Amino acid sequence: MMFSKSKKSKQKFIACTNKNKKYEFINPKELYIKQGKENIPIEIISDKQGFVYLIWKKKKYIVDIIEKNQNQYEVLVNGVSYSISVESPFSYKRRKFLDKNKQETKVERVQAPMPGKIVEFLVEENQEIKEGEPLLILEAMKMQNEILSTIHGKINKINFHANDNVMKDDVLIEVEK
Amino acid sequence: MKKIKSILIANRGEIAIRISETAVKMDIKTYGIKTSKEPGAYYLEFMDEVIDFTELTNDIPEFLDIDRIIYALKEYDIDAVHPGYGYLAENPYFAQKCIDEKIIFIGPSPDAIYKLGNKTIAKQIAANNNVPLLEGSNGNIRNTKHAKLLAQKIGYPVILKAASGGGGRGMRIVEKEEDIEKMFRMAQNEAEKAFADPSVFMEKYVRNPRHIEFQILADHHGNIIHLGERECSIQRKHQKLIEESPSVALNDELRAKMGESAINIAKASNYRNAGTVEFLLDELGNFYFMEMNTRIQVEHPVTEMVTGFDLVEWQIRIAQDEELNIKQEDVKLTGWAIECRINAEDVQTGFSPFLGTIDQIQIAKTKNVRFDTGISEGSNVTANFDSMLAKLICYGETREKAIQNTLNALSKLYIKGIKTTIPFCKAVMNHPKFKSGDISTSFIPNEMKQLFYQEEDEELIAAFWASLNHNVQLEIEDNTYVDYEKGKNITPWLMNKRLKSL
Repeated sequence: MMFSKSKKSKQKFIACTNKNKKYEFINPKELYIKQGKENIPIEIISDKQGFVYLIWKKKKYIVDIIEKNQNQYEVLVNGVSYSISVESPFSYKRRKFLDKNKQETKVERVQAPMPGKIVEFLVEENQEIKEGEPLLILEAMKMQNEILSTIHGKINKINFHANDNVMKDDVLIEVEK
Repeated sequence: MKKIKSILIANRGEIAIRISETAVKMDIKTYGIKTSKEPGAYYLEFMDEVIDFTELTNDIPEFLDIDRIIYALKEYDIDAVHPGYGYLAENPYFAQKCIDEKIIFIGPSPDAIYKLGNKTIAKQIAANNNVPLLEGSNGNIRNTKHAKLLAQKIGYPVILKAASGGGGRGMRIVEKEEDIEKMFRMAQNEAEKAFADPSVFMEKYVRNPRHIEFQILADHHGNIIHLGERECSIQRKHQKLIEESPSVALNDELRAKMGESAINIAKASNYRNAGTVEFLLDELGNFYFMEMNTRIQVEHPVTEMVTGFDLVEWQIRIAQDEELNIKQEDVKLTGWAIECRINAEDVQTGFSPFLGTIDQIQIAKTKNVRFDTGISEGSNVTANFDSMLAKLICYGETREKAIQNTLNALSKLYIKGIKTTIPFCKAVMNHPKFKSGDISTSFIPNEMKQLFYQEEDEELIAAFWASLNHNVQLEIEDNTYVDYEKGKNITPWLMNKRLKSL
């Protein structure tokens, strides 16, 4: 019959890095990576201790997923981490569409580069600041670090107080461009 | 003094294990301390007896709790205490307390610890014994005005350091006059917080120096020798990351000269036991005394590898009054040793601490590889302790071979579950300037474009592995959800309609 042509389903995955580089894989379970026109097989080995290695083009890579949240993966390859979000062709298009329509943000969020304790804030809300100006002092592993502003602007909001403990990536200060 | 039959190891992690290994070899009974922060810690498996400190609830870290440690020493009638590094290793009050209680403190006298631990006094000792020093404040800075005047006299750049500091804490480099007041206040603030002493001094800052340190051994019978140098120039924010012995920067003549200076400082302070004298070496071969560390150091294994002496054994033997039977001419540096510190840090986000659980650890040990570690499978990396997990020490007949052996060992060292500095160590070992020995303490900011080593197709492999895992994950979910579009292709028309409705 005309419409019942059975076709083996072709599942396509688009893996995007945090720098928006994309890699496409069709049916990854078939265990090959396409390079140019050639399908180069990839081999998975796991040992008794639970280490997983991939072998591709005669090279061995040790892989480990250290964090996973829905389609977001943090993959360690030989100890170096890569942030990968895996999309379907549909979700990839949606993502691009949303990115395009995203308003250019006017607020710069200053995040804690590492977990630590805030020693003091060197600025106040509504204060005008210049690029490179110190915003606060963060103590981490007993070292005091100055956190500098990356932009010119005005302090919109300070989210913590001196002596507060903060986690990595906590938004400490919001600066309005 | 009597022979030591039992030792309390007042430390944790790799150094506690390191000390216990030598103690076992010397037929000495070991006692370890169990804390509530890591009651199942790996190092405890290496102790003959474990003393339980888990009941302690005060704010002082267990390994700094002098009264409790002294009480334990007396309760179990232990002959000696080895403090390792950090914690009570350089606390003159603790060393004195041990003497008062007739316990052998494996280390120097309280007087030597005090004098050498105070950088201002230590510099005075050096100056009095013709050991070269950097021009500096010759004492603590009184106020911001004083700081400004001194900096003008010495000339920028200058460095501000905490008088009671160490390990890079409380240090500030000031490049220009505008910054001096602010930096002075920050250095004071940091010193006060870290060492309960806001005293800060100033000295000339040498650009691109090498960090060269000399290992000293001194007994109670007037014998004193040095075991050659270690170069620890690969540092980040004054924290050592890679160390080696010997150093490419020293020839026999300079080695003899610097070694003699190191011995002079030890002699002048009546130093006993193992110690390390740190120098800066500038590009012209001038060296300057920095400080003396009155303890066993993290990087001591490189010296052990090239000299063949067990430094912890000598610490114990000296503490029990044995005579040092090694003469200076017996000390030969044979081959080359490199140590890589494996820290739980995320190199890709500025070496921020990486906390988590170690699922597995694997290392290929050969005769040229030594792996000192305090962790095993299931160990937790918490914010309670510093981030160093292990030390990988590799030997080679030449520096080139030592680098090659280090690279081989690094490529076979896997720690599953967390991020470590292994990719950083690989990047250094592969760097042409490190290979040629052209290094300085500014190596990381000046020479390293990328702080971690990466193979060509790693990102592609990561993308593939994530996709494959996602594929499998979706299929598991498929068993519970009905996908109405399964097998159908979404038409561009349908897709656009959906996008518009978002």
